[in-house]
Amino acid sequence: MEAATVHHHHGPPEANRSSRIHPALLGMLLFIISEVMVFGAFFTAYFFIRVVVPGAEWFPFDGFELPVAVAGVNTAILLSSSLTLHWAQVSIKNGNHTGLKVGMLLTFLLGATFLFVQINEYATLTREGITPQAFAQGTIFYGLTGLHGAHVFIGLLILLVVTIRAFRGHYSPDHHDGVEVPGIYWHFVDVMWIVVYTTVYIL
Amino acid sequence: MIAHLRAPGWYRAAFYIALALGLSWLLLWSANGFSASDVSGIGWVQVSLISAPLFFLGGLGAFDYWIYWASGRPTRPEDHSAHGATSWKDYLRINTDHKVIGIQYVVTSFFFMFIGGLMAMLMRAELAAPGRQFVDPSAYNGLFSVHASILIFLFIIPVFAGLANYVIPLMIGAPDMAFPRLNAVSFWLLPAAGTIMMLSFFAPGGSFASGWTAYAPLSTTAPDGQVFFTIGVQFAGASSIATALNFLVTIITMRAPGMSFFRMPLLVWANFSTSLLVVIATPFVAASQFFVLLDRALGFNFFDAAQGGDVLMYQHVFWFYSHPAVYIMMLPGFGIISEVLAVKSRKPVFGYRMMAFSLLAIVILGFTVWAHHMFVSGMQSWIRVPMMVTTAIIAVPTGIKIFSWLATMWRGVLKLDTPMLFALGFLTMFVLGGISGVMLSMLPFVIHVSDTYFIVAHIHYVLFGGSLFTIYAGVYYWFPKMTGRMYNEKLGKLHFWTTFFFFNVTFAPMHLIGVQGMPRRVADYSEQFANWNMAISIASFFLGLSTLIFLYNMVASWRGGKRATGNPWNALTLEWQVSSPPPVFNFDRIPTVVGGPYEYGVPGAVHGVFEGVETTAEERQPAGAVASTAKE
Amino acid sequence: MAEETMSEEVADGQSGNRPRRGRVHVFPLMVIGLVATAIGIALGLLIDWFPVQAATQAEDVDTVYHVLIITSVPFFVLVTTIVLYCVWQFRERPGEEGLDGPNVHGSTGLEIVWTAIPAILLIALCSYAYVTLRDIEEAPAAGEPELIVEVTGQQFAWTFAYPEAEGGAVKSAELILPKDVSVKFNIKALDVIHDFWVPEFRMKIDAVPGITTSFRVTPSKLGSWSVVCAELCGVGHALMRQKVTVVSQERFDAWLARKQAGGKAAAGGGAAGEADGGDKAAIGKTLFAEGNGEATACGACHALSDAGTSGAAGPNLDDVLQGWTPAQLTEAIVDPNKAIAEGFTEGIMPANYGETLTKPELAALVTYLEETAAK
Ligand code: HEA
Ligand code: HEA
Ligand code: HEC
Ligand code: CUA
Ligand SMILES: [Cu+2]
Repeated sequence: MEAATVHHHHGPPEANRSSRIHPALLGMLLFIISEVMVFGAFFTAYFFIRVVVPGAEWFPFDGFELPVAVAGVNTAILLSSSLTLHWAQVSIKNGNHTGLKVGMLLTFLLGATFLFVQINEYATLTREGITPQAFAQGTIFYGLTGLHGAHVFIGLLILLVVTIRAFRGHYSPDHHDGVEVPGIYWHFVDVMWIVVYTTVYIL
Repeated sequence: MIAHLRAPGWYRAAFYIALALGLSWLLLWSANGFSASDVSGIGWVQVSLISAPLFFLGGLGAFDYWIYWASGRPTRPEDHSAHGATSWKDYLRINTDHKVIGIQYVVTSFFFMFIGGLMAMLMRAELAAPGRQFVDPSAYNGLFSVHASILIFLFIIPVFAGLANYVIPLMIGAPDMAFPRLNAVSFWLLPAAGTIMMLSFFAPGGSFASGWTAYAPLSTTAPDGQVFFTIGVQFAGASSIATALNFLVTIITMRAPGMSFFRMPLLVWANFSTSLLVVIATPFVAASQFFVLLDRALGFNFFDAAQGGDVLMYQHVFWFYSHPAVYIMMLPGFGIISEVLAVKSRKPVFGYRMMAFSLLAIVILGFTVWAHHMFVSGMQSWIRVPMMVTTAIIAVPTGIKIFSWLATMWRGVLKLDTPMLFALGFLTMFVLGGISGVMLSMLPFVIHVSDTYFIVAHIHYVLFGGSLFTIYAGVYYWFPKMTGRMYNEKLGKLHFWTTFFFFNVTFAPMHLIGVQGMPRRVADYSEQFANWNMAISIASFFLGLSTLIFLYNMVASWRGGKRATGNPWNALTLEWQVSSPPPVFNFDRIPTVVGGPYEYGVPGAVHGVFEGVETTAEERQPAGAVASTAKE
Repeated sequence: MAEETMSEEVADGQSGNRPRRGRVHVFPLMVIGLVATAIGIALGLLIDWFPVQAATQAEDVDTVYHVLIITSVPFFVLVTTIVLYCVWQFRERPGEEGLDGPNVHGSTGLEIVWTAIPAILLIALCSYAYVTLRDIEEAPAAGEPELIVEVTGQQFAWTFAYPEAEGGAVKSAELILPKDVSVKFNIKALDVIHDFWVPEFRMKIDAVPGITTSFRVTPSKLGSWSVVCAELCGVGHALMRQKVTVVSQERFDAWLARKQAGGKAAAGGGAAGEADGGDKAAIGKTLFAEGNGEATACGACHALSDAGTSGAAGPNLDDVLQGWTPAQLTEAIVDPNKAIAEGFTEGIMPANYGETLTKPELAALVTYLEETAAK
């Protein structure tokens, strides 16, 4: 007798919300946990290569040096993109569409600048003989910063989508999850960079 | 034709794969300064292996909705209704119904089980006598590597995900999973991953042959078949992570009213714990294979000792995933056993809360024992003793579960049908495998038996006698729910007894020859082990044949079995309170949970009631409304 | 509707609990359990599980195993007995369809018991294992002699060296050890991971590129035991087997002296290039039996009675070399995969002798093989 009634349904009953947390937000947080673990694995490799392996050395050695200052400026650029993003998020909550658009655009441009500077750095380092193929220190340097760079790239794609949708007027003070949730990802990418920068360049 | 190629489906998928192959070539060609002579075959294969599966999914239509959504276009109505199945064809497309996806998972992973099992048969044929029988050593190494990789990454892990996919939303009173489209993507990554692994047999130099553990530097210097493992595992891993995330969000946010955490059936608890393991651990295996791929393809030096790389780092990273992975392959089974034993003993699960806590204890302890696979690896020797202690301690929470199950049966009314038989078989066989595990944690002993057939025996007692027995129990138990038909009980029992008997004859003697000194992963062995190996091989062929009984039972019963009622086992959990198979959206009205899931022995007890205001069709939202409504 | 189905079925399903069945057969249960435990332990102890004990370490390891059997068999028997007993006593009989068991939820007391007992037992086992581990890895007391042996793994053969031998280091394709002296193996790998295992000593450890690993044994029995590679290392993994021979101290010393004499003769001839006939053959023989540090000794895989080697991974060269020309021999060594000997597999014999042997060394080796074959 159930079978007869089933076919009249056109949609499911709405699921009960058993937690106050928004599902998309929770999903993003869990995804970030697994992302942190990917970085964790790369940091494990870094730890082994820098500390555990017999005769381990780290930059600067044999005249190979990392451009700490340039990367420091680049860090500042990436961090300020978190601020502009935050501004964009606050703006839409207050119904300020212009703020959202300008904020998103700035965030995107700052992120792109970061990536551009990093690629330039790679080119310089390669010319100086620091390549992933030359020695394991280079391997893990490119491994960690490259993994992060890939995340910046993906983050930029997501920001691009948000920006396009912002310009099409998709968000409103009541519906801004589409800015909020990708925003968390971008903040995560920024925080991760601080960890990468500190361990690879400074420590 | 053009219409075919534009609409999501298999034609477009084939077209996109071709596109991926072409684009990969173009990419390499441009990266090499537009010189065709520099585009190496294996470079192209590697890029294609990465791009083709993604294009395949795109062609099938897995991303259509997201692409429409992201570009701000109106999402197409078909994307909302890719739900439910009315013919077998609906199983061959992107479907967002968790019940369809569950069945897709289970059927696909059993397909891979037969492939992996068939390889075991070839291995046993080769091992029947010392010297060379049918395959040369490199082919043999390829066989056991693909055997294990397929059975682990494409059978045990996904089949559990499939059963849970089907059952969890029903059990917690939800209309679907939290992210139905992500769910579809998770599934379709699997055939891609499996195809990649099997294609490795066509690679020059043979399939990947460094074991399922793929230790560097063997894997970084092996012939090109190795990349089929390196990349295949990435897709299987991505699928696992996506599913785990989906389960966690579903379980946390979509439980029916009244379903507190401590009213959830233990299967839900088990998958909750497993999903935590997956989200935290699986990224490590992904990273380990990234390292291998970078070393192989781009000449990085992660594992090149001469350049300052560290060989043992691979094992630390790999086992930090792969030890938890063995619990990923066992905890969902623990959940199944709790369901089956309670219903078939007509008693509440004994010590419900400890059952839930012991799962979490295993999750936490599971992250502290990885180096027990490295006792003879030459790592820093001080790590060994702490790891020995944590490893041994894992037997405590596991023991709590075993003893609680025994107490659950005590004074029950035991219905000894097929699911129950497999559950009892599991209890005894898993304890044996677990005990050999505890022996393996004891350093002086493991130094001798590590890398011998004693390990092979342990592997199969826990994975076959443990995981696979629970899978059989679960498949028989939920078969009526999933198909609407009853399976054949006589054949089911025959399947159990033949499997149980030949399983033991096959794998028990391996303990003995292991201790006597037969190393694992060898196609050839010394004369003294010849008799035992012959016996093992013969038994293993019967073990293989016993699987055919299962296959026949499933196929025949699905097509012509007796119709199943909604609740043939008279169980209390919610999935049994709807028709078999359940309606497209699971429940007409979301039930309200009023009590524990296993209140057998209390006359008239119920777990959930279906009262509430009848909503009209207009008020309802499509499945997965949470994730998909274009509200922004 | 669905919910109606439910209430109907629940109503006729829950037709009450089964009346409590007589008393539990505690006594027969315990007897069965004890008998089964005794049989299990007896099987564990009586079956001849292990290879011979050829080192003092082996006795300790075997004792650990026996203790493990004695402590874990009872748990297996306990679980199995209870399962069988439940099946026997509590199974659903005809007429009991639809009856339920008692609604029992748990028992804190029981739960504490079955948490505590295994926990205590496991801690005890770990402590015992730790003590044994310290014993079997213990270095000899200060002042007592210890023999250092360097073991090098390469696809797919082991070579050995005695760096501290009196009168100069000795290299060898064969492992000879004196009885009753502590031996420390320092283990290296040249290509991938291997694992140096002597089942009769019960000890093994991986040979890992980039680091040196080690373990100790004290051989306690004269005889010839197997050296097995226990870590998958490629196609030839199963063939990476050699022998270790334990001899008395006197014979060991004599063997070392003989080796040293042979080595000196070869080295005394100066660089192989300048040596003539007889010297060349002597150098070739040394290379065959010992390798040159980079190139694995041929004798690790090939038996050749003149060089005193008994390797079994490759063809027995006593039988096959008659009538080979120097050109053929050179090709077989430098490009082994070009023609594969009947019944053997491609890719086992190292393909890098062209690089690891110098031209004069290669020539010396070929000369030696040619002369030996002619004998
Ligand atoms: C489902 C998969 C699964 C499960 C659940 C387990 C469970 C356990 N495993 Fe196993 N293991 C594997 C799959 C699994 N393993 C695989 C695949 C390998 C080989 C990998 C490779 O190299 O290819 C392996 C290898 C492996 C090793 C490495 C051996 C080596 O290579 O040198 C060790 C060592 O400690 C080990 C230990 C354990 C322990 C202590 C448990 C414990 O969790 C078991 C706990 C359970 C019980 C103990 C039984 C119930 C308890 C009681 C009844 C209480 C009382 C008991 C006692 C006091 C003894 N396992
Ligand atoms: C879930 C996991 C799983 C399962 C189910 C199995 C199932 C089987 N395994 Fe597997 N095995 C592993 C996981 C598993 N294995 C792992 C992880 C390893 C370690 C690999 C490594 O070292 O890297 C391993 C290694 C391994 C080895 C050791 C190889 C070596 O070290 O050299 C052997 C040897 O006997 C073996 C045998 C078998 C057999 C006979 C079965 C049987 O149970 C299979 C029976 C099932 C079928 C056969 C189904 C198909 C049946 C048909 C298609 C009918 C046709 C039948 C006939 C032709 C008779 N396995
Ligand atoms: C790791 C094991 C291994 C080592 C070390 C090794 N060989 Fe071999 N050898 C083999 C195998 C296996 C074959 C048979 C397969 C083949 O023909 O390549 C073989 C074949 C040969 C043959 C051809 C025999 C025939 O019947 O065709 C000759 C000659 C030979 N080896 C000489 C040598 C010499 C000289 C050395 C040392 C410089 C050496 N081998 C080192 C394993 C080895
Ligand atoms: Cu060397 Cu296996
Ligand atoms: Cu483990």
